[in-house]
Amino acid sequence: MSSAAAESTLQPPAATADGLEHNRLVDRLLERLGDHLNPILVKETRQALKSKQFVITFGLLLILAWSWSLLGVAMAGTDVYYSAQGPGMFMGYFIVLAFPLLVIVPFGAFRSLTGEREDNTYELMSITGLNPRQVVSGKLGISALQMAVYLSAISPCLAFTYMLRGIDFVTIMMILVYLVLGSLGLSLLGLLAGTLVSQKHWQVIMSVGVIIGLLFAFWVGCRLCGGMVIEQQVDFFDTEFWVVNAVLLTAYLSYFALLFFASAAQLTFSSDNRTTRLRIVMVVQHFLLTAWFAWGIFAHGLESELLLAYITMAGLHWYAMGACMSSEATELSPRIKRNLPQSFLGRVFLTWFNPGPGTGYILSIAGLISAMVMGLLILPLLDMSNGLYLSPARSSNYGMLCAYSFIGLFYLMIFLGLGNILLRLARRVSQVGVVLAVLIQILLLLVGCGVPVVIQLMSPTLREMDYSLLQVTNPFWTLAHMADRWSAPLETVPLLLILGTTALVLLIVNLVGVAREVRHVRIASPRRVSEEDAVMAAEKVPAEPEKTSPWDD
Amino acid sequence: MIDSRPMLQLHNLYRYFGQTRAVDNVSFSVRRGEVFGYIGPNGAGKTTSMRILATLDLPTSGDATVDGFSVVDDPDRVRLRLGFMPDNFGTYPNVNVREYLDFFARAYKFTGRERKMAVERVMDFTGLDVLAEKPTTGLSKGMKQRLCLGRTLIHDPAVLVLDEPAAGLDPRARIELRVMIRALADQGKTILISSHILTELAEICDVVGIIERGQLIVTGTVDEIQQQCRKPHNSVEVRVIGDAAPLAKWLCEQADVSELHANGSSATFTHAGDPQAEADLLRSMIEAGFRVVAFGSQEQTLEDVFMHVTKGLVQ
Repeated sequence: MSSAAAESTLQPPAATADGLEHNRLVDRLLERLGDHLNPILVKETRQALKSKQFVITFGLLLILAWSWSLLGVAMAGTDVYYSAQGPGMFMGYFIVLAFPLLVIVPFGAFRSLTGEREDNTYELMSITGLNPRQVVSGKLGISALQMAVYLSAISPCLAFTYMLRGIDFVTIMMILVYLVLGSLGLSLLGLLAGTLVSQKHWQVIMSVGVIIGLLFAFWVGCRLCGGMVIEQQVDFFDTEFWVVNAVLLTAYLSYFALLFFASAAQLTFSSDNRTTRLRIVMVVQHFLLTAWFAWGIFAHGLESELLLAYITMAGLHWYAMGACMSSEATELSPRIKRNLPQSFLGRVFLTWFNPGPGTGYILSIAGLISAMVMGLLILPLLDMSNGLYLSPARSSNYGMLCAYSFIGLFYLMIFLGLGNILLRLARRVSQVGVVLAVLIQILLLLVGCGVPVVIQLMSPTLREMDYSLLQVTNPFWTLAHMADRWSAPLETVPLLLILGTTALVLLIVNLVGVAREVRHVRIASPRRVSEEDAVMAAEKVPAEPEKTSPWDD
Repeated sequence: MIDSRPMLQLHNLYRYFGQTRAVDNVSFSVRRGEVFGYIGPNGAGKTTSMRILATLDLPTSGDATVDGFSVVDDPDRVRLRLGFMPDNFGTYPNVNVREYLDFFARAYKFTGRERKMAVERVMDFTGLDVLAEKPTTGLSKGMKQRLCLGRTLIHDPAVLVLDEPAAGLDPRARIELRVMIRALADQGKTILISSHILTELAEICDVVGIIERGQLIVTGTVDEIQQQCRKPHNSVEVRVIGDAAPLAKWLCEQADVSELHANGSSATFTHAGDPQAEADLLRSMIEAGFRVVAFGSQEQTLEDVFMHVTKGLVQ
């Protein structure tokens, strides 16, 4: 070997040394970036890169995408040059991509939490410095990362469909955005389902339910994509389309926040406040609903159908939220009491955001009443400028709308109130979780609806009849009957009397429990906590600058 | 190193599972730098009370504090001060030792160089540095215990709650673990440890508490407990040169001697006297012409105390 050759072997060329230095710099930057990432995301990314499940899914996705490319082009034959083959090819790729995104990734999110519980790793993680929101966002982050990997793998195929003509860029992007949002939403639902069950047998049952639900979502996703791509049912130049999208996006984001906080609440330590954040989101959802309907009314005029839909949706929202809130414990831990509102206004307006089934009951009723005030008073008054709504022709509609709203309110008060009483009794013998509480509320509703229907169907005299007062416990039929007529039916007055009296009685009975919850007042933090808080606050205050001259004073 | 301030306290702690009283009015405190041995038969309530301390479970009533913070009301502050090593724990698949510890260091909000140093320190202390790149699922039981101890120590907690850390370990691993726990105690850590291997606990614990059917029966230093539970008769073994039969005959005539057995060159008997009387008996024996090779009064061990105070009842 010549000396020059030896020298080159011993000393790396300058370019290579620069390259190494560059790599080290990149490593350092990535490491610094990694410090700011969620620890669960870092750990699970490392795990996923070594896991067989990810390799197999990714490999299958690639194989299927390539296979479809070959098969699709072969099936199209020479038509590929002369006609638009994009939609058909895109549909195939969508199915290949949607299965991992709508089934495997969300199920992986579900299994990620239940698996930690099975393997006894969850408890060790839960007592670290990670808070429940970090746990949920970390698990969600790994779902998002998997989606990004699958999407990047199939993106050349999607670009290929664009070149085959028949499908435009906006459609492709819209479908991908829907798919990613759907996958994220389903992953969050999977995580929530994972937090709801801790025992193995319930986990198995929940797994079956989750798989069935995800397969259904996959089928719905494929049908919707087919509608958009093959049947081309979407008109991007239609303003309504974008308005509907904006409404759906608002609803999606608000429910995403609700599910996120609900999942985190399920993982939160029992003595902590699991509720207030959720209640804030519920109220924000209510305002969003109101805002969209107000926009609709000002854009399209004050239509009775719109107001009816608004009050119905508000009623359903507050019934569902009230059912969930009825599962909360009646007692407040000292930790929660430390942060209770203490000013007069704070206690009047913010007490309803404190945990407790009683405060939840009142919040639900207040939520629906505020929707009624908005729908029956404020919006018609604001719209009076065009003088249409309160015209004689429409006054009967207004009367029906009032009756419909009050009957809906009474039903909410009755079913939630009765459910709360039953749950209070159930709590005396055992613990009541959110799943059981919601099941009891749903069961109560089903009994209320089902029993009179069965009686009417089994009775030869009543069988052929339309709506009768026998159905007074059936909110769906009663409200549908009211809404059908667009004028107050004969049964309105008796319905208002019966339901109003029952609702009032149940409200009074529930007020006893509410009073107990409202009585709580703020307590001082323990001395040790105050001491530590003071030390931490002192550490945050910047040190006084040292005097450098006699004039510094 | 032991400080008079209690670092860990249980106040009238109760935990019911239906009709079962897993923990029934348990109160004790452990001072800073003290090693407290928590002993009890299976199902006595050790793990339940330790899980409550580790903020993994809530008491039915009562409270426990770690460095003055309630485990019920301030679990977040407790978690930063306490390291819990459960008796049954899992490891993550597709993760090696370094990555496992790195995850927990990140979870305790260590960043950059600080995080790397925490991982290195723990691997060095537990001797896992040579297995840093080994997958956690491929570790032996002893190494997994070390890994779990490392995870427990990663945030350098002032209080350690170790539930059966020596369970399933071979003798060498047990000895190594004992040395590590002693080293941690010397560093000033407050340690609550449960174990079935009582001889080991007696060696490393400053204070011992015995729990049965959820109730704390006795608590104190090993010596104090031995004194409290001292039997009125000591078992004594004597070995002489030649046949022990004449010695047995001679012993029969002595005061406070009973339950005499002679076998070959040794004789065992129980003696009702105090250590002074035992010493006088030995002198008389030698003066009587017996060529005594060994004279041993058997000390009461922690195991004897345990068997004496517990009734072997389960719930």
